[in-house]
Amino acid sequence: MKRRTFVGGAAALPAMSLLSGTARAQSKEIRMIESGGASGESIQKGYIDPLFQKTGIKVVRESPSSLGKLRALVESGQTSTTLFELGSGVVLQAKKLGLIEKVDWAAVSPAAMFPEAKDEYGFGYQYFSTIMAWRKGVKEPKNFTEFFDTKAFPGKRCLPDYPHYCLPFALQAAGVPIDKLFPLDVDTAFKKLNEIKKDVAVWWKAGAQPPQLMKDNEVQYSICWSGRVVGDPAFGLSFAGGKADLSFICVVKGSKPDDKAAAWKLMHEMSLPENQAKAAEVISYTGPSPDLDALLPKDKLWQFPTSKQNKDVQYFENAQWWADNGEAVNKKWEAFKLSL
Amino acid sequence: MTRSSGFSFIAPLLVLMVVAFNAPIVYMLGLAFWEKGRGFTLEHYEGLAEAPVYLRVLGNTMRIALIATLANIVIGYPLAHWMRGLGSRGRMIAIALVVLPFWVSILVRTYAWIVVLGNGGIVNRALQWSGLTDAPVSFLYNELGVTIGMANVLLPFLVLPLFAAMIRIDDRLLQAAASLGAPPRTIFWKVYFPLTLPALAAGALLVFILCLGFYVTPAILGGGRVPMISNLLDTLINQIPRWEQASAISTILLIVTLLIFAAYRRLDRKASA
Repeated sequence: MKRRTFVGGAAALPAMSLLSGTARAQSKEIRMIESGGASGESIQKGYIDPLFQKTGIKVVRESPSSLGKLRALVESGQTSTTLFELGSGVVLQAKKLGLIEKVDWAAVSPAAMFPEAKDEYGFGYQYFSTIMAWRKGVKEPKNFTEFFDTKAFPGKRCLPDYPHYCLPFALQAAGVPIDKLFPLDVDTAFKKLNEIKKDVAVWWKAGAQPPQLMKDNEVQYSICWSGRVVGDPAFGLSFAGGKADLSFICVVKGSKPDDKAAAWKLMHEMSLPENQAKAAEVISYTGPSPDLDALLPKDKLWQFPTSKQNKDVQYFENAQWWADNGEAVNKKWEAFKLSL
Repeated sequence: MTRSSGFSFIAPLLVLMVVAFNAPIVYMLGLAFWEKGRGFTLEHYEGLAEAPVYLRVLGNTMRIALIATLANIVIGYPLAHWMRGLGSRGRMIAIALVVLPFWVSILVRTYAWIVVLGNGGIVNRALQWSGLTDAPVSFLYNELGVTIGMANVLLPFLVLPLFAAMIRIDDRLLQAAASLGAPPRTIFWKVYFPLTLPALAAGALLVFILCLGFYVTPAILGGGRVPMISNLLDTLINQIPRWEQASAISTILLIVTLLIFAAYRRLDRKASA
């Protein structure tokens, strides 16, 4: 508890981190499991490369990062992987299952961060959005009521094969405003999905599917991750009613103290706005620094999940609600999928 | 060579199988019954009874496996029969063509179907160009797509044993039947078909059991609209992660598969007796 009280006193922090850095032995190489693709490359360019230049510590990346893999790592008692990327809802599950350790925020001594990113058990390093997108040339919906109106906006849809992505959007189509989505009215959401399921050609599992299917003209409208579609002239998109979420880097339970010391150093690099700007060059997702917007190119601000104009029209993921209700909803989801 | 020295030759393989294959399976089966710190429990099987949706996915898997197996028989039997009638050179080419897909990754073969059967794919463009259809036919992202993909991947498993059985049939048996005045149809159903039946049953069973565990093909060609048990297990193991529930479902899948196998053995013994 005492350590955490230090976090508030910003002036004392640099000295603290120097002390903790020199006092311990430190690993020269640690491993992390992240979600892969362009997101993984953004971690490399934004945070791992600067860390190596400053300290000589290497971070080896692997992917993908499923919760099942984390459970297997911890239950087999391994200590080779120190860092693990988890979605906001999954952090709560992992905490409940005892698979991750607390972050030593005093040792990380981060630059200024948005409060929700500074979790007791994880470093919220990347904001990403789930939004509506369409193939250029079709009628453009302005909100999810229009997106789900398959009569006025004819065309095949591609929706995520995950209830925590689909249900809140379906509720918006049923007329619920974004600030009243939670607690979710699950039955109403499924009712709406039942109305349009015949127009959903594909339920996607991998984020690369929706843009490809739109390009191939297999589907015309998608709900997909913003980073996959922004900046591509083939697609139109809107952040209206979209979901902003935060991805976390966590420390695997049972990691060695030397590896953890190196992990705190990487987290420190992740908190610096100049590094987050480098990562945003690779993928249009943003880091947790309030000072980041000033460093991003002005003409691309509309592409990022956290820029002012986008943050205001989206809702933020309610990880706690999903941690409490996720499993029950998942059973209903499987039953719904059987009715397709 | 004595018996004991023979055993010592296979001992390494036996150890490998027990340690790397059997022990993990037993551990996996046990997961559903034993919980750390709580001891024996039947909770996960009770959970299955309460939420029959998982069992319905299993039922759906069986149905699709059956459809894919039937499709395989309809395509595979005439193909093997046709190959039997070829010359030795033709047979070699035909076998090579049947086996060739084994050399290509299942992922590549499955994606290839998207190029062939998609809305902008070769088949749909040909159909529209020839005026047979106005709008693209949806071959993909439904049960039809999954069945086509699975039949394609599994065809060699049926054709090869069937072909091997067919070429062992003595032509003189068929000639004898003909000389006794049997028309071709009778020869086929009374002589030829019964001789190929054990191989057909074995091949079909193999295909059916492999179908039950299919993951990649339904994931890609099903468009998330064809729930199968492997994809459900993936969710339970990797995302939730409820290994105990997954273990209970796997156990039921294993038992069902063994029952089907036992039924087949009984039939087989009756047929050969």
